[in-house]
Amino acid sequence: MGETEFYKANSVKEACDLLAQFGERATLLAGGTDLMVLVNRRQLIPEVLVYIGECGLNYIREEETGLVIGAATPHVEIVRSELVQKKAPLLAKVISTIGSPAIQNQGTIGGNLGNASPAADSAVALLALGASLKLVAAGWERTVPAADFFVGPGKTVLKPGEIIQEIIIPEEAAEYKWAFRKIGKRRADVCPTVSAAVAVKTENGRCKAARIALGSVAPTPLLSKKAPEMLVGKTVDAALIADVAKAVAEETDPIDDVRATAWYRRRASEALVKELLSQVIG
Amino acid sequence: MYTLELKVNGQPYKVEVKATANLLEVLRDKLGITSPKVGCETGDCGTCSVILNGKLVKSCLVNALTAQGAEVLTLEGLGRPGALHPLQQAFHEHYAAQCGFCTPGMIMAAKALLDENPQPTKEDVKHYLSGNLCRCTGYVKIVDAVMAAAEEMRR
Amino acid sequence: MALNVVGQRVKRYDGLAHVAGETKFVDDVIVPGMLWTKVFRSPVSKGTIKNIDTSAAEKVAGVAAVITGKDVPNNRYGWGGDQYVLNDTAVRYKGEPIAAVAAVDEDTAAEAVSLIKVDIEEETPVFDPLEAMKPDAPLVRPEGNVFMYGDRPFRAIVLGDVEAGFKEADLIVEGDYLHPWLEHAQLEPQTSLAVPDASGRLTVYTVSQALYLHLQSLCSVLQMPMNKVHYIGGTVGGGFGSKNDMHADHIAAVLALKTGRPVKWRWTREEEMLYSTAKGSWHMHFKDGVKKDGRIIARHVRSIHDSGAYVSLNAYVVDKHSFLVAGPYFIPNVYVQGYAVFTNKPPASSMRGFGITPATFAGEVQMDRIAEAVGIDPWEIRFINAFREGEHTATRRVLDSVALIEVMQTLAKTAGVQLPDRLMAMSSTQRR
Ligand SMILES: Cc1cc2nc3c(=O)[nH]c(=O)nc-3n(C[C@H](O)[C@H](O)[C@H](O)COP(=O)(O)OP(=O)(O)OC[C@H]3O[C@@H](n4cnc5c(N)ncnc54)[C@H](O)[C@@H]3O)c2cc1C
Ligand code: FES
Ligand code: FES
Repeated sequence: MGETEFYKANSVKEACDLLAQFGERATLLAGGTDLMVLVNRRQLIPEVLVYIGECGLNYIREEETGLVIGAATPHVEIVRSELVQKKAPLLAKVISTIGSPAIQNQGTIGGNLGNASPAADSAVALLALGASLKLVAAGWERTVPAADFFVGPGKTVLKPGEIIQEIIIPEEAAEYKWAFRKIGKRRADVCPTVSAAVAVKTENGRCKAARIALGSVAPTPLLSKKAPEMLVGKTVDAALIADVAKAVAEETDPIDDVRATAWYRRRASEALVKELLSQVIG
Repeated sequence: MYTLELKVNGQPYKVEVKATANLLEVLRDKLGITSPKVGCETGDCGTCSVILNGKLVKSCLVNALTAQGAEVLTLEGLGRPGALHPLQQAFHEHYAAQCGFCTPGMIMAAKALLDENPQPTKEDVKHYLSGNLCRCTGYVKIVDAVMAAAEEMRR
Repeated sequence: MALNVVGQRVKRYDGLAHVAGETKFVDDVIVPGMLWTKVFRSPVSKGTIKNIDTSAAEKVAGVAAVITGKDVPNNRYGWGGDQYVLNDTAVRYKGEPIAAVAAVDEDTAAEAVSLIKVDIEEETPVFDPLEAMKPDAPLVRPEGNVFMYGDRPFRAIVLGDVEAGFKEADLIVEGDYLHPWLEHAQLEPQTSLAVPDASGRLTVYTVSQALYLHLQSLCSVLQMPMNKVHYIGGTVGGGFGSKNDMHADHIAAVLALKTGRPVKWRWTREEEMLYSTAKGSWHMHFKDGVKKDGRIIARHVRSIHDSGAYVSLNAYVVDKHSFLVAGPYFIPNVYVQGYAVFTNKPPASSMRGFGITPATFAGEVQMDRIAEAVGIDPWEIRFINAFREGEHTATRRVLDSVALIEVMQTLAKTAGVQLPDRLMAMSSTQRR
């Protein structure tokens, strides 16, 4: 077993070049709050570490496309950003529940997405906000909807050589009413058992757009397909909310694990969706 | 092996480390600075908490080479017997430590809080220490100690 | 009377060192040239060991020693003398240590462990104590799945005649109570450092909560006289009963003697959670004979304790549970059957109260049930049955300095509960 190599990228280009050079041997390292757990437990012995925590991916700004957040921005900066609080308060709220102060200082949004845990909190928010991700590699870049990014636990559409460069939240996200809640065993530093975010836009008492996203209830963070079909164009009442909650729970594909049973997760999904939708619309 | 240069408690160090090493093991095994403890190495307990470039971190999850050129503060650098930091004094006076294994991490987390917010409420303290577990004392005396230290420091 | 401590704010005698970061826990003792340990643990819950091949592990650069059961001078230890330092015959739980490596660092030791090959013929395990008690259950241990208290398969506490009491009772109140398996989760993991010296002495830094008893046990494993072993302890990063069993000292010590070098073994949190001793789980059945006026006149408790794979402190845990499960109440007829049952899990052992906390939990919920059944307030039911001065427990111990009634009165006041005057006027010194 060879010794792990370590490279610090000083720019996004350098990061891409290092990935191009080392191909599948390379592992990206940002805050390390997911990766170092695996390394410390010897579940992963990386061949080449490419550190991107200080390569210019730490920014939050407004562009034509919307609110743009660099992938290596630590959670704490997103939570405290006035811009995020104004343009995407749901994201600020959701990220404020990640880990504890130390984890907020260390962990990054790109790492949360790149790790591709079905429980990833920021993913749940970004799905509900209709965000997209800009991916970059040596020689190309592309933008994918957050809804298409996750493929399975730990699996994404990232191709060898690609990095998440930034997260783009559309301008219209600010027009949504939203709510979020997560259930876990501890109040801090907890991997959620079930989480849910809803974002709804109404006009003249009718639902104009709706997105409901859930964490830890499927192989990937889940964006409900049924919810918008059932809600858009309707006047939302308690009966419809109950139907939507039931339909969303049916879309989940949860597992039994140390945190909860599949049975519990499905029931909690229904309850959360009901509660959050009522909060937003009621 | 890679060369890591960093300052801990004001003192510069230069050590050889593996690319997979975490900051906690470097502090303890290479530098002999043992107040940050190994409680889990999975980020869950907080007893390895130190202040890295002014920010609270769980040192077990910091890849050591990402701390290149950094300034680290551990409990040893906060105050010594005879010249204790108000937090250390308050922890002692309020019996906020029993076995003492969580204490270094607790005090460093509290220090990071007071650096950011010199006038915390009890709720602020509870939130800020939420990543630090204590199995002996319970948290009441710890929170009391932090509140008392904050008051002392504002005087 | 002036009191020195009661009512005074006292500082910890070792508090200053704690807050200054100067307390040296075992892991904080760092010795030059120290080797690190990793252990090969049984991958199965039950099986017979056919072969252990450590040859590949021994060849890894940086490995100083690989040991198995045959390297241990006396391979049996533990409170029941039934545990293996390194099992080389038949494993009883997943995670049971089989071989140990000392190497220059943890990574190297872990790599070497991954190369150890153990051929185990897997057998059917049993995890549920109720299943394990059935006559055709797979045997966790050759002596049988239930600990024998003399010629009985349970600890018996007998006072009076419960069957007669049940006949005399106005009603019978029954209840089943479960208490889960619990991990201590003390913050400091099991850790040991063993340092040999040229004169044949061995210094061992220990996290033990039972220093003198463990010294004896360690010397027995090493077959060394006590004057050759310097056992240094007392600084414990939380124990709660998890450090009443020797988890690391024996293996670190054997490796140190074998290599002639200092050897440290620090368990990972995962090992701690999965394989260290725990508080075993309980099934408790209560059957009480009660008079309409609230007096409990007969109590039969049948408690089944999941003890895991080895005796450890479990026989004692069940003892203490059985002695005290009738509660702080005077009951003239008591029959307790306390069973320690073996399953293919890591050994259970002591944790904060040796089986008394589950007894108290079950007993107090049962008191509420009795109160409901006879239609008496839950406070009053406890006052009615509370021990009085000079009464005796289920084990016939005559009590003095009894104060339960006074404690409950104070508790009610503190909690702002208004109790009827007749309860507030009661005293433990009044005869029944
Ligand atoms: C105690 C504790 C509590 C936690 N609590 C929560 C919680 O409440 N909610 C939650 O969602 N998560 C939680 N986490 C998980 C973790 O903190 C987050 O997922 C964090 O955002 C990861 O970011 P990082 O920068 O530390 O990632 P790293 O560990 O550096 O990387 C994680 C993965 O993403 C890849 N990666 C990193 N950056 C990029 C990029 N720009 N492009 C592509 N791939 C990339 C890495 O290669 C790696 O595979 C917790 C973790 C711990 C230890
Ligand atoms: S050792 Fe770092 S959080 Fe527990
Ligand atoms: S004092 Fe022991 S863990 Fe906090």
